[in-house]
This record gives sequence, C-alpha cells and structure tokens, in this order.
Amino acid sequence: MALGLLQVTLCHKKEINNKMSATHQFSESNGAGEVETIPIVNLNFGSIDMAQLTPATYPIIRGQASFEKYLRCKFTGVWTEINNMKFWKSSGNYKTGETISAAANVSYVQPSNTANADSSIPTIEGSALAIQSAEGNTNIVYGESGVSGYTKYIRLQTKSTGSTPAGIGNTKIFTFQYDEV
Amino acid sequence: MSNSIDKISEDNNSMNFLAFRWIAIFSDGTKIEQFENDIEHNFQEIKDKFSDLAYFNLTDRKGHMFSVDLINGLIGYNYLTLPYIKVKEKKDNIRLIYFRRHQVEITEKMIEKSHTIIYFLGIQWATINNENRNIILQIDENGDFIINGK
Repeated sequence: MALGLLQVTLCHKKEINNKMSATHQFSESNGAGEVETIPIVNLNFGSIDMAQLTPATYPIIRGQASFEKYLRCKFTGVWTEINNMKFWKSSGNYKTGETISAAANVSYVQPSNTANADSSIPTIEGSALAIQSAEGNTNIVYGESGVSGYTKYIRLQTKSTGSTPAGIGNTKIFTFQYDEV
Repeated sequence: MSNSIDKISEDNNSMNFLAFRWIAIFSDGTKIEQFENDIEHNFQEIKDKFSDLAYFNLTDRKGHMFSVDLINGLIGYNYLTLPYIKVKEKKDNIRLIYFRRHQVEITEKMIEKSHTIIYFLGIQWATINNENRNIILQIDENGDFIINGK
C-alpha cells in the first residue's frame, strides 16, 4: 500500500555533518581531596589510588582487593533529555576467586583497597545498576537550572582470593547505556 | 555547535556522526529539520508544539527513510506502509515515540571500545476501549530494523 504522507522532498545528497547531539566523557576521581581526571582513557584497576594507572607497575596482590574506582559520566553538547541510564558488566569471564563489585549513586570518599561490601556487578541488562544524575534524578534535562550534566558516581572494585591465579585477568566489558532525545 | 563541543566529540566518542536525522512537519505545513544550515535544532522545539506535529521522518545518507504519520497513525518505510495489523484499528490520541539508545562498551584498557546507537521510532495511541497501544521500530545505524508492539 502506498503511503501518501510525505510532503517534503528529502535531500539525501545534501552533505551535512550530523554531529552527535549529546556527547559524553568519563571521569575518575581520586585522592582525599578529590582530584578529577576527565576524560580518562582507561579504567585499569591496581594497587594504587590513581587514574589511568599501569597495571604492571601497580599489580593487585593475590588475595587482596584493588583500590576502588569512582567513575562518572559527564554529558556535554545539546540534547533535550537523557534518561534510562544503566551500567552492567556485559561480558568477560572471571578467573578463579575473582569478582568485581559495584555500587551506583554513591557519594565520593577517598578510594580504599580494603574490600568493600558492595554487591557483585550485574551481568545482564535486566538487573543493571540504575544510574542517576548528580542531582539525584533519573533524567538529565538540558538547560534545566542546577543541572551539571554529570551522573552520580559508580564505585567499582575488583577482588581476588588466595586461589586466584597470578597473571593478567580476562578482559571485562562494561556497558553504559542511556536514552537520549 | 561550538568548536569546543566539536572537539570534545572528536576526542571522546568513537562515533562522531548520527546515522539518521529527523524532519518534523507540522499541520500548518511548516517543518523543522534537525540539521539546517549547519545548526542543530533541539528536539525540544518539536515538543513545544507536539500537538501540531503531523509527520516525523528519519532519513540517512544511504536512502533509508522511516516516516510516522501522526494524523492517521501509520508508519512507513521507503514510501511504503509497514504491514502491521494493529495499524488498521481506530486510534485516538496518537503520539510520537522517538529516542536514541546509546550503548557504550568500556573495558579496563579502553574507556570506549564501542559506541552504538539504536533509533526507537513509533507511535502510541488509545483504542476505542481506551487501552494504550504502541508500535515501535528499533532501527540500527545501517537502517536494519525490527518491529515491537503491544
């Protein structure tokens, strides 16, 4: 059935750079006084409270936990509303005795390498962590008074046991998802 | 968009371009294109006159075109109405569904391994029994799509 609803001529040949409407950066916070590194290029866990650390230089000692990571996302650019923000581990197998814990929407405190009580990070979208805006809302409305464009913190920590094998762990993939209009 | 925003986009997102752009056509014949004269219009401009929105189209550079007719409650793909039985029922209070779902994959070694966008496009309406129904297309960046509805 023909659809007679198109009332404009669409110019497919018109070259327009369709820039992303909202853009994002990830940041990590460290130190007692919170020093933010933005953007970060990696999320390496290690035995020091430092962003973008080199794991070979700061390996996690078997049976211990890594220093916690305080991760945030910051949106810039132009959008109308961002919502439905989720975070989960979407792939990557643990080695024996290894786990990654995560907590959403926490307040920043100086990262520690004492094993925290956070739950294991969800591994499916259905049980993903629901991420809030820094202001505590489920959405981020562009231009709204007091809106920083930041999410709240996601705290991550990798833990090992005495039975965890030495060496490099398997690559884990985390997914951060959000809806934008 | 300012140069600084462009720079942020280039530096921190693996995908700098939207595959699809929208065109909104209103009942008085006026239209807003998402990108006009190198300016990006905010979707809020559509929301501000939502009740006057008549047609909403998504188009890409490969020639794919998805169109929503908010007057009759139809969804089209490349000038053809998508066959879907519920489209034929009487519909009241027809409203547009549109958003982009971003999925950013992060690894320890790479803060952005991939960034994919799925375009959600559809309509919701009330039946004669005042039940809420919807049809939503999930369109990937290549123009392939699936249909969901309830």
